[in-house]
Amino acid sequence: MSNRITIFWLVAPGFMLFLFMVCFPIIMSAYYGTTNWTGIGAYEFVGLENYQKILFHDSVFWRSLLNALLLLAATLLIQHPIALLFSIFVMHAGKLEKWFRAIFFIPAVISIVVTSKMWVSVFHPNFGMLNKLLEGVGLSTWKQDWLGDSNIAIWCIIVVVMWQGFGYALLLYYAGLQGIPKDLYEAAELDGAGRVKLYTRVIIPLLSPMVRVAVVIAVTACLKQMETVFLMTNGGPANTTQFIGNYLYKTAFSSSLYGYGNAISVVFVIICLIITVAMNKAFKKDVGEF
Amino acid sequence: MEALAAKTNRQAKNGKKKDAASPALKAILHLVLWVVALLQIFPLIWLINYSFLKSGDFFGSGILKWPKTFEWNNYVNAFNYGSVPKFLLNSVFITTVTILVAAFLALMLGYAFTRMEWKLRGPAMAFIMLGMIVPIHATLLPNFILFDKLNLIDNPLSLILPYIAFSLPISLLIISGFLETIPKSIEESAVMDGCSVYGVIFRIIMPMTKPAIATVCIMNFISWWNEFIMANTFLTSETFKTLPFSIMKFTGQYSSNYGAQFAVMTIIALPTVIIYLLFTEQMSRGITAGAVKG
Repeated sequence: MSNRITIFWLVAPGFMLFLFMVCFPIIMSAYYGTTNWTGIGAYEFVGLENYQKILFHDSVFWRSLLNALLLLAATLLIQHPIALLFSIFVMHAGKLEKWFRAIFFIPAVISIVVTSKMWVSVFHPNFGMLNKLLEGVGLSTWKQDWLGDSNIAIWCIIVVVMWQGFGYALLLYYAGLQGIPKDLYEAAELDGAGRVKLYTRVIIPLLSPMVRVAVVIAVTACLKQMETVFLMTNGGPANTTQFIGNYLYKTAFSSSLYGYGNAISVVFVIICLIITVAMNKAFKKDVGEF
Repeated sequence: MEALAAKTNRQAKNGKKKDAASPALKAILHLVLWVVALLQIFPLIWLINYSFLKSGDFFGSGILKWPKTFEWNNYVNAFNYGSVPKFLLNSVFITTVTILVAAFLALMLGYAFTRMEWKLRGPAMAFIMLGMIVPIHATLLPNFILFDKLNLIDNPLSLILPYIAFSLPISLLIISGFLETIPKSIEESAVMDGCSVYGVIFRIIMPMTKPAIATVCIMNFISWWNEFIMANTFLTSETFKTLPFSIMKFTGQYSSNYGAQFAVMTIIALPTVIIYLLFTEQMSRGITAGAVKG
């Protein structure tokens, strides 16, 4: 009996806080999502109208999802292969191994406010570093208003996010490599074609559980992208760099469609849940050989 | 698996002779690593460099410039116009309370989930783990209304409470993972000697869990020290604003003072970089533990 009371006091504070700050808000969102509240004054219950609009008539919402997908494609096809390659390189860096690992991670610990501000000035049309660089190497015709062009801005955002997350991906693969039995590495002192084969045929296949983990993390991270966009373009120009997090924020606070913003919020949570559960189910089947 | 290892061992032995002539390859490898490493930290170098220049020196074609004289004045201006001392104190206060309470609550939860037998512990733990899936951004709108109703807008609690709540899943994961590696017999003998549960947790478990607690604190420090979106939403006046907002003060009146802006950015960036470099191992351990089990 006293055991029960102890358990209660151990669990209750954390659990209640979690319930109150994370779960309760989502329930509140689900409620406000069925209204047309603007944030002040009276409002009406509109049922599922907002949800219907999001799914069937809201091109910005779908653009936000598409952008998450673009970011994911770039992450998985460009960032992750390079990170994997570099995690192998770092392992062979000898004395500097730990230093390289640390340096690659630094962008991830610098405040997003700072990195975003900095990249905005890199892409600045007049005195940005990128345009200066292009001029310096004789490619003046390539100079752009990078973040102001609706075709280019999203790619700039993708580059920045990939740059920021590179060290994180590298660290995951590096940890995976550390988990592979050491005797395999005695064979893998970097050299020549024999080693390349060893990596492509033995080590990387052994790394597949970590690859799955990294993919799951990448999917949720791309879906949840907001801060960089918020600070660099706020979704513009013309919503071409919009992501769901930023979109719901903008809808509620700039466009004063508080009810509608909450509905987006709910759809957002549901999408995250479905995708995570589905991926865990799909990947769980063949884990356990490691 | 064993057959595989044996096979690669053979490959290794066959390959040994070829290995001798690799210094050239090693040099190339180091070169490539250095180039990309520089790309990664270039921004930091650039920030620090420009923070020592005069505002007029930014234009022109050079990317990095040796300052004619080091403009320490930029830092003085950053402190004054950017309200750095005030915002820094706010950040220190909010982050310290958050990481201490989060570690404390996660330790209690971890103990109850790994050491005690009760019916709902599986579902309860899974429920908290759901927090890793929930996007922070989805709680911004409802929490704004909630805090507004509770009169907590523009109050440090409006940040501390959600920060702690969102710290719990990953902190719990790391701490309970670590607890599982500690043998139970130590606590059992303590209980025999008449130690209460709280005594066991705070006198025996806590000292033994120090490495995991350190990891949790450092990870939480870095994420909440840099947190921006919630702070931007829930704080409306300057009284409790956190350090990232120092840079926002340079959007109006002082927006042409580039030197001070770069100094502010350097001031914001450096604490986390230094803490991270000091505790790299703990951070890496936390991230990989969180990733593998999550």
